[in-house]
Amino acid sequence: MGFDLRFGWTGPIGGVTLGATRSEGGTRRVSYRIGGGSTLPFLDSNSSFSSPLIAFEICDNPVFWPPIVRNYCGDLVNNVEDWAKTADSTYGADMIRLYLTSTRQRNFSDIPAVGKAVEAVLSATSLPLIIEGSNEPKIDSEVFQRCGEVAQGERLLLGTAEANRYRSIAAAALAYNHSLIAQSPIDVNLAKQLNILLREIGVLRDHIVIDPYTGTLGYGFEYSYSAMERIRFSALKGDTDLAMPMICSPADTLTIKEVREAESAVQDEMAATWEFYTGLAAAVAGAEIICVRHPETVGKLRLAFTSMKNGTGSAQVR
Amino acid sequence: MALKALDIYKLLPKKNCKECGDPTCLTFAMKLAGGKADVDLCPYLDDQAKAVLGATTRPPIRRVRIGVGERSFEIGEEFVLYRHEKTFFHQPGILFEVSDTQSPDEITSITKRVKDESFTRVGTDLMFSGIAVRNRSNATDSFAAAVGIVENVADLPLVLISANTAALSAALVHCGTYRPLIHAATKGNFKEMCALAKQHGCPLVIKAHQLDELAQLAKDCSAEGVQDFVMDLSPASLYEFIASSTGIRQLAITRTAPDLGYPVYLDATAGGMQDAWIALGIVKYASVIVTAPLSRASAKAALTLRQNVYTDPQKPIQMNPGLYRVGTPGKDAPVLMTVNFSLTFFTLEGYLESARIPCFMLIVDTEGLSVLTAVAAGKLNETLVLDAIRRFDVENEVSHKKLIIPGYAAPLSGRIEEATGWKVMVGPRDAAEIGDFLNEEWKR
Repeated sequence: MGFDLRFGWTGPIGGVTLGATRSEGGTRRVSYRIGGGSTLPFLDSNSSFSSPLIAFEICDNPVFWPPIVRNYCGDLVNNVEDWAKTADSTYGADMIRLYLTSTRQRNFSDIPAVGKAVEAVLSATSLPLIIEGSNEPKIDSEVFQRCGEVAQGERLLLGTAEANRYRSIAAAALAYNHSLIAQSPIDVNLAKQLNILLREIGVLRDHIVIDPYTGTLGYGFEYSYSAMERIRFSALKGDTDLAMPMICSPADTLTIKEVREAESAVQDEMAATWEFYTGLAAAVAGAEIICVRHPETVGKLRLAFTSMKNGTGSAQVR
Repeated sequence: MALKALDIYKLLPKKNCKECGDPTCLTFAMKLAGGKADVDLCPYLDDQAKAVLGATTRPPIRRVRIGVGERSFEIGEEFVLYRHEKTFFHQPGILFEVSDTQSPDEITSITKRVKDESFTRVGTDLMFSGIAVRNRSNATDSFAAAVGIVENVADLPLVLISANTAALSAALVHCGTYRPLIHAATKGNFKEMCALAKQHGCPLVIKAHQLDELAQLAKDCSAEGVQDFVMDLSPASLYEFIASSTGIRQLAITRTAPDLGYPVYLDATAGGMQDAWIALGIVKYASVIVTAPLSRASAKAALTLRQNVYTDPQKPIQMNPGLYRVGTPGKDAPVLMTVNFSLTFFTLEGYLESARIPCFMLIVDTEGLSVLTAVAAGKLNETLVLDAIRRFDVENEVSHKKLIIPGYAAPLSGRIEEATGWKVMVGPRDAAEIGDFLNEEWKR
């Protein structure tokens, strides 16, 4: 007597390619194809299915970064190349996400420096990159243009498009064949609406990664968790405007009270544990790129994702 | 298969006698169909009708209570696969494990920790649920002694883990009347285990590796007269857990396999990935999670995730409107107005505390809506702000008339100024920037 588990899904999640190897026109040592799932996360019967990607977040001006990471990483945070290298070789990330925090200074105008930072990280690591551009509409166009240009052929994931701010980033993605992150505030309908706007100006479905926004564990994560589940559910029910892979960045996690106010002896553990619980739950809800900022979170997530993969030999795990 | 309300109605006496507490047989039938009523409430049903209705009208996942008294908890009686379809009702019990090979002092201190440790979030005290005692020694006396030690410290819900029925029997002498969960009946020992569970009226874990074996075991154990089961699939990997637990939930709520309609047990102690097991257990339908005592970091994260996932998505948690103090604000301290959605409140409060600028938070009643939705829905408006300033006597608390409003409420700034006569300053949209804002704009 066996049981047949049927959910009545009709459509798969669309695929998105991240990074490009030499044969694909770029210089990365690996490229990833995410998406493609045809049922709930981690339940696909095909054992070749890839685990969620772990992206390590770095920035080019650490003034805007959580103190706990600055303390843990030490001098690395002042050198974006060394930081990227370490995230690749020591922390063991799958991707590097570079935040161009330098652009957040008042009246920032040094656009060439933006291009240099992206080039520096491209040469420091051969992992696929996520580049997080400016936060300021006035300079969006130039910043995204420059990022797109210097990384032409590398299939970046560019961030972040929002409903009232998506044209500059879309233009850069279209011009240089990069993908982009479409972020909406924790709502399935707003996510869909933004994807439609992007489609109307010519961004293809297989160039979009949805970011439904991740509220911090304990501060709204339940909404993000359900928004992700609903997006995945709608996609599997056949809504192609939501059938894209998702990204989760619990970026505020390291500044919440529980982490900030932890005794210094346990602060790193608190930070990594908080990121881990958030990232793991988001992956189960459907996120396929999990971004982290604390180096200790990477290995914890890796171990769990290995055991969550279908066909994992039980001997390895327990 | 589940019966529809009208099918059930056909089996009822149609007397509309109201003896079940419902006004008509039809409304009673609708409740039965929704799993919200018990067939026994109708005094006129014959046994055959009861037999037909009993199996299909009870909740798709049986409700089981573990422990007695204040700290006892209920699990099961869930109806959905996704929390947004309705809500998850009964959060999983998370129990710390002790072993009868540990010293009495160790057992005592772990039990005390579960008894006393509590952590407050969003106005709620979060605690662990009980103690699981494992018969690692396989000896009868030491198991009974360990259970005795736990019982002496606190009246906590227990799980008794042993393959040795003699040891269980000895332990149940200490705690049998307190509804501990017995672990576990298997294909090989279910008769003895059922006899123990029945004798003491305790819930019973049934354990097998395949769903069909588990369903068969549930049938066999029911035939022995036990009804309160919790199911242990002993998954070998996290993948196996997600697959089997999701399978059980889906098959149970659709009533495809009524014999799987019981809560799920998860042992998170093995494998050195305790955090991963616990996090997955919480989001993917485990109802009893046994773990080694957790570090402070894991403890807080686990309890917080459990609170998040088991929050009713249809009811925002609200704060009482009022004037709240951060630090010890003086007459010249800033006043920040925001909504009574608890998440907004606690997020803003957290950032204000770390900004170390004493201030007042003026919380207005938007019925729990966030700033963005309250503005869009017209729930946040100048009249509400004026009422709050008067009601909470803000003019006598501070010596100025300046009000900082959330960035997303900027469209209301003119109307608030007109209605209240206060000067409005538009704060940042993101609470994380409030410290910088106060330093730059307020202190200037």
